[in-house]
Amino acid sequence: MYRFVECIDAGSDFCPCHLAEKGECIICSQLQNKVFCDCLYWKGTCIYQELLNNGNKAKKNREYKKFDIVSINKIRDDLHLYEVKLTNYLVRELDNFGAFVFIKRPQHPDYFGTPISIMDVDYEKSTVTMLIKIHGVKTKDIVECSENIMLKGPYWNGIQGQRFLRNLKDTNVLILGRGVAASPGVLATRRLKINGNNIKVMLDKGRSQENACTLYYKKYGADVENINIINYKTKNLTDDFVDKIDDLINKEEVPVILTAGDDDFNRLIINYIYKRNNKIYFASVNNHIMCCGEGVCGSCQIKLSGKYIRSCKQQYNPIEYYLMEDGNR
Amino acid sequence: MRVVVVGGGWAGCAAALQAKKCGADVILIERTDMLLGLGNVGGIMRNNGRYTAAEELIALGADDLFNIIEKCTRHKNIDFPGHKHADLYDVTIIEANVRRYLLSLGVDIKFETRAVDVDIEKNHINAIYLQDGQRIEGDVYIETTGSTGPMGNCIRYGKGCSMCILRCPSYGPRVSLSQRAGVEDILGMRDDGVFGAMSGSCKLDKNSLSEEIRKELDEKGVYITDVPEEDIHPEKLKMKVCQQYALKDFAEKVILLDTGHAKLMTSYYPLENLRKLKGFENVRFIDPYAGGRANSIRYLSMAPRDNTMKVVGLDNLFVGGEKSGLFVGHTEAIATGTLAGYNAVRSVMGLKCIELPPTLAVGDIIKYENEGKNNKNGLTKRYTFAGSEYFERMKNLGLYTTDIEEIRRKVKKLLIDGIFKEKLI
Ligand SMILES: Cc1cc2nc3c(=O)[nH]c(=O)nc-3n(C[C@H](O)[C@H](O)[C@H](O)COP(=O)(O)OP(=O)(O)OC[C@H]3O[C@@H](n4cnc5c(N)ncnc54)[C@H](O)[C@@H]3O)c2cc1C
Ligand SMILES: Cc1cc2nc3c(=O)[nH]c(=O)nc-3n(C[C@H](O)[C@H](O)[C@H](O)COP(=O)(O)OP(=O)(O)OC[C@H]3O[C@@H](n4cnc5c(N)ncnc54)[C@H](O)[C@@H]3O)c2cc1C
Ligand code: FES
Repeated sequence: MYRFVECIDAGSDFCPCHLAEKGECIICSQLQNKVFCDCLYWKGTCIYQELLNNGNKAKKNREYKKFDIVSINKIRDDLHLYEVKLTNYLVRELDNFGAFVFIKRPQHPDYFGTPISIMDVDYEKSTVTMLIKIHGVKTKDIVECSENIMLKGPYWNGIQGQRFLRNLKDTNVLILGRGVAASPGVLATRRLKINGNNIKVMLDKGRSQENACTLYYKKYGADVENINIINYKTKNLTDDFVDKIDDLINKEEVPVILTAGDDDFNRLIINYIYKRNNKIYFASVNNHIMCCGEGVCGSCQIKLSGKYIRSCKQQYNPIEYYLMEDGNR
Repeated sequence: MRVVVVGGGWAGCAAALQAKKCGADVILIERTDMLLGLGNVGGIMRNNGRYTAAEELIALGADDLFNIIEKCTRHKNIDFPGHKHADLYDVTIIEANVRRYLLSLGVDIKFETRAVDVDIEKNHINAIYLQDGQRIEGDVYIETTGSTGPMGNCIRYGKGCSMCILRCPSYGPRVSLSQRAGVEDILGMRDDGVFGAMSGSCKLDKNSLSEEIRKELDEKGVYITDVPEEDIHPEKLKMKVCQQYALKDFAEKVILLDTGHAKLMTSYYPLENLRKLKGFENVRFIDPYAGGRANSIRYLSMAPRDNTMKVVGLDNLFVGGEKSGLFVGHTEAIATGTLAGYNAVRSVMGLKCIELPPTLAVGDIIKYENEGKNNKNGLTKRYTFAGSEYFERMKNLGLYTTDIEEIRRKVKKLLIDGIFKEKLI
């Protein structure tokens, strides 16, 4: 299996970060207390050189700033659509695969900060749209905001396996989504469409007739279908879905699939499809619990092939994560 | 049979060519948009013992690349301090000529394609991975990724990235595939015990030199003038890769050779100081771009190998050029690369891999370098037919000659004349 190491922030405005400064860089061997180059993933800049040029100091972190809420649309009691006006810089930087931000209510401490994906961007209005599902204390707190909100970003590691999506051109891509986790797939569709890709989307109906992201997918020209994908009682894929997916992967060329659901959903689907066609590449939304987003706090840490990685910054091959037995992690 | 060659410098070109001549399907992976690697900024052939080595290789049947070089030669048989009967090829046209030749033979060259990892099972490489995740499978692999850079090494052991021909920022860094396969790299050292060595020459834009100097370069191939007292830094010689040029003359004289550009036989001569010399008032660097400040760092990534060029500890990885030892030079890269290509094919066919006989300079250097690497003193040495200790050894052992007939007779007597022309498959 193809394993890779990639830092989503490498080469960005936020690189080198505190990890590099402290000899814990994900990519650069020279910044892992080794003294020779063994660069694990090149993104066009030498992190070692950038750190030296920056006086051996990390670049400034993202910080919370206050932004105006443009509109709130309560789709359901527990599902709120927020449109927020940001700077042009942020809108531009957030128009990328896997983009997300941390948001919280003004005046509340930073540990209220919650990662929320960008579903859509609007350059003309300089806004982003986010879909927020109320879960517990943090999300309940956020939806009390009506005028403005504290937001920090841009972050990009909301989709794992981005390398399989980034350079696609004129290719068929399948997106399988469920619930609010389907929202980063909308922005991915937008990016993929720019490169002339053909997007087919199957969304799990869940409790509703239609996933809340459906219209947004359609807006970007995806072919969308709402069906029952998973029976959550038996934790199995539905017969209807199995028939459809078998038909699809047998008949058509679908080199890449993005799974945009919770971990159980992603795992079931990836295991099912990979066993039938191991030539397909997978990307999947990142569901790990996050707190700082900077690779420092460790709340997003997962074990992958025997090593701990910080999933808020590090990219991995979703196959590597989801195919493994839980005991292996 | 599929042979995968990674790195398209002189060593990789020679290996790919040889494997092709033996009858294999060959794929050559090169991270930049050009073949020849450092060969795009060199040009000196046949100086001192390289003459013998080139003729030995020709007699062995590896004449193809030398014929192309001959065609691209600007100056023949020139002398400069410490060096006799050198030829200078034109670096501005050599690459396209070699490229056309390899393509015409059907070598499948993948440009702007960087290998980053290997899929290994026990001691056997199943495939290599490219930066974009693509998997390339072969029966046998040849690593000829050189030893230059990448940026972090040039920073730590040199004076930073000088923007050399390898263009790491654009194409991504060199990767040691043998190390990724679990075989630890051997590191070259300098006299002062520091790792690596700095490339010892650079190229000036010939058009930026005075007409007088240009004329002399065009006519004679060489131009020599004194270095002003305040700019003589003999300590720089210690850092140099090219011990054959680490002579006192090279610290005290500015030596230019005409390789299409004006090759300046010293490293990081500050531009301001260089412009003080007569005829150099407008001069500028063409390689490396920041040649006034720095040069590339090399020899930090050698794989342990046997004398058939197979990597020790792996079943199906061969090496050539700087990847295979402390070799300096195009001729050295062609010699080791050719042998690697030849033996790679033999190994897949289940034939015994060959060593070149030590009665030939090309055989002796491969063996001698391997022995030298075993001790710290040996790691501070560089091995080239062109000078320093190895050329002395050639002379002492009677290996050095410019008598072509004698070389041909010798190779024939060893019953290996033309072996590199044989189709094996
Ligand atoms: C990259 C990323 C993008 C996300 N995008 C969205 C989005 O667009 N819309 C949306 O509604 N939700 C999104 N989430 C999930 C959202 O962050 C959590 O639902 C939220 O933090 C829950 O906090 P809580 O205090 O309301 O609930 P809690 O009481 O803390 O927990 C409720 C549930 O949410 C999960 N959870 C809790 N905290 C986090 C956390 N910091 N990160 C991830 N999961 C957590 C828990 O496992 C639990 O299942 C995203 C999560 C990540 C990692
Ligand atoms: C400035 C300078 C001047 C010189 N002048 C002379 C001279 O006049 N005469 C002489 O005989 N010698 C000269 N030399 C030395 C000589 O050029 C080298 O020793 C020899 O050419 C090395 O060849 P090589 O094939 O081993 O390595 P390289 O030329 O370094 O080739 C390695 C190739 O591999 C590629 N590569 C690396 N990593 C990867 C990867 N992961 N995937 C794909 N491709 C990869 C590189 O892009 C490169 O093309 C000079 C060297 C320098 C630096
Ligand atoms: S969220 Fe803090 S380390 Fe990843």
